[in-house]
Parts: sequence; C-alpha cells; structure tokens
Amino acid sequence: MSDWSGGEVGVNRREFLRLMSASLALAGAGACTRQPPEAIVPYARAPEEGIVPGEPLFFATAMPLAGGALGLLVESHMGRPTKVEGNPQHPQSLGATDVYAQASVLGLYDPDRSQVITSAGEIRPWSAFLETLRAAMEAQRATGGAGLRFLTEPISSPTAIQQMRALLAEYPGARWHQYEPLARDGAAAGLRAAVGAEVAPH
Amino acid sequence: VFHRSTNTFSRVSIFGALFFIAGATYGLALINRSAYVTEAGVAREQPIQFSHRHHAGELGIDCRYCHTTVERTASAGMPATQTCMNCHAQIWAESPMLEPVRASYRTDTSIRWARVHDLPDYVYFNHSIHVQKGIGCATCHGRVDRMNLTWQEASLQMEWCLDCHRAPERYVRPRAEVFNMAWEPPSNQLEVGRELVHEYKIQSLTDCYTCHR
Repeated sequence: MSDWSGGEVGVNRREFLRLMSASLALAGAGACTRQPPEAIVPYARAPEEGIVPGEPLFFATAMPLAGGALGLLVESHMGRPTKVEGNPQHPQSLGATDVYAQASVLGLYDPDRSQVITSAGEIRPWSAFLETLRAAMEAQRATGGAGLRFLTEPISSPTAIQQMRALLAEYPGARWHQYEPLARDGAAAGLRAAVGAEVAPH
Repeated sequence: VFHRSTNTFSRVSIFGALFFIAGATYGLALINRSAYVTEAGVAREQPIQFSHRHHAGELGIDCRYCHTTVERTASAGMPATQTCMNCHAQIWAESPMLEPVRASYRTDTSIRWARVHDLPDYVYFNHSIHVQKGIGCATCHGRVDRMNLTWQEASLQMEWCLDCHRAPERYVRPRAEVFNMAWEPPSNQLEVGRELVHEYKIQSLTDCYTCHR
C-alpha cells in the first residue's frame, strides 16, 4: 500500500477527498439489497398451552434467594422467559420484586452459563454424569456415607428439605452443609442476641 | 480559450440535465414500485404445492380454520401439520404430493413454508385490529381463493398502507363480510364507508409511530 505509506500522516488532502467522495457515492448502494427470503416454520403438532407467536404467556413461580422465596410472574415469549415481575397475588411480593429477581432473567442468557455437562473439559452426556454419581454413591453405601458431604444453598422448599432428609436417612454418616454467600448474618446475629434463639429474619 | 460551439454545448447540457434528472427520478420510482422490487404478483415456490384456490375457493374452507389467531393476535397464525392431517389422514391419505406433510407429522419436524408476505422488521403490523375494524382479508391479500400457489397481491410499500390509513372509508366493509372473499364494494361505498368508519370508531392513523414503534 504505497499510497498510504507516503507522507507523515499517511493520506494527503487530495487522496482523502478522492476516497471520501468515492465512499460517499457508494454509500447509498449498500441499501440496494432485497429482503432475504424467510421461511415460516409452524408446529408439526401444536402444544395445548395455546402458544401464539407474538403473544406472551405469564407463569407464576417463585425464586429462592438467601433461604427465602419471592413470588414472581414471569413473561415468556415462545418458551423463552423475557421479563420477571412480582406476582401481585403473592402475599410477600404483592407485585414487587428486588434487584436479584429482576436480574435473574439475564443469568439464563449469560454466555458463560454452562450449556453442557463437562468432565475435565470434555463434553459428556447426562447419562455419563448419572453413571459416575451412582458409582460414587454406591461406594459410600458401605460406610453409611461417612465420607459424604452435601453442600447446598439455604433451602426453604419443603419438598427439597424432605428429599434431603430422606437422603440423609439413607446415608446416616453423611453431613449436610448450607452456604449462602449473601447471607444476612448481621440480622441473624442481632436476633440471636435479642431473642436468644436461632431464628430466621424476614 | 474555448471554441464558440462550447456555448451551445454548455446551454444544452445544463438544460438537458434537468430532463435527465427528472427522467432518472421517474425511472427509479418506476423500478421501486415494480414487481421486481416489491415481489407483488410473484407466486412463491413452496415445499408442498398447496393451493388456496382448491382449499379456500373450491372447498370453501374458512380462512380461520387454518389461520386461527387472525382475530385475536398480531399474527394470523400458520396451521400446524396436525391441521392438515385432520383431513388428510382420511382423504388423499396416500397421495405422493402430500408425502412431505405426512413426513412432517411422522417425524415431528416442521414444514418450512416460504414466507409470501414479509414486512420489514421495523414495521409493526397487527392482523386482529384490522379484522375487528372491518378490513376484509381480500382487501390486502387479494382473491386468495383464486390463487394456486400464493402470491403477494399488494406492494406492501408504505404508500400502499397510507392509501388506506388516510381514507379508510374507501375500503372498510361490514364486519360480517370480512372473511367473504367474493365481497364487492357497493356503488355507494364512500357513503357506506363513512357510516362504518363512524360506527366502528375507525381513526385515520397516519402518525409514524402507529407502525414504526
């Protein structure tokens, strides 16, 4: 590119005008494209929920956070959640949300979110995970789970608690730890000092 | 310095340039409205040779049997393969022409229809409001009941939209006739149209943001 390497600044005035006029003259030509052909891809068998393209569905759900749960109403387009709002009929939410609930939908589309199961960097199927897990659990059965530790976030779901209890009953030696990075430790400590018992603040 | 004839040349070229620019503008406008650009009137090839003429015209199946959501939502709705199979499990069930339909149903994979009416993505369009306000299917889509392979009847250019939005009384019809393909405007359409515009509370919406939201 000898034209560019000439003067101290690379392009002199005439060169600049010539290039700019050429690119200006051609700028409009970029719009002279036809719309690409599109396909309409309807269902083979339509689902019964009545999903209609362009019409959102709203799902009532709850988001567990720091040992509690917030009642939510999630807007969903064609099976993809797009917006999280509070559920007006939920006694704790009454239509309001917090920053964590509002931001939670972003986590779903986070490119860093794991899409597949990997083992040592290799993509593995779900069945391989189950196989490995089953083998590890079987090995623990002989010792009653003496070498077994469960680490979870604080759980307030009655179903999950019941499942954990059933699991611990099967492995009496196992231990269950809960860790919450955003725990309200200060509030808990304050309540302990005031009431003298381990109670959860609300 | 210059030869005397240069005077004539300059006069002719300055005068001629006006005509040239006018002609070029007119030519470009013609090209822009032509079927080459708008693709109006060009029948699209489809994966299955579906004929609206046969189904909607000869058999008289209502538009809404397949385009189920046209009265409720923005999209008119495309039928699932299941809708085809409602009838074609019984009639023409062995036809080789319908093998792609059966294959779609068997393997639970969608049929990829070629889109005929493709509005740019920067345009908001809603079928339901037009149907509710008494704009017939045939007003925009033409006599679909006479098309074998479907084509786009209108240019779908903005001037075409505005033509109706500026004066809806010219095109509006009674709600009961919306799905009637054969409806013809009465001789006193403007009179009837004005009454319907009043009755259906049709506004002449020509603001940019009506469609470009």
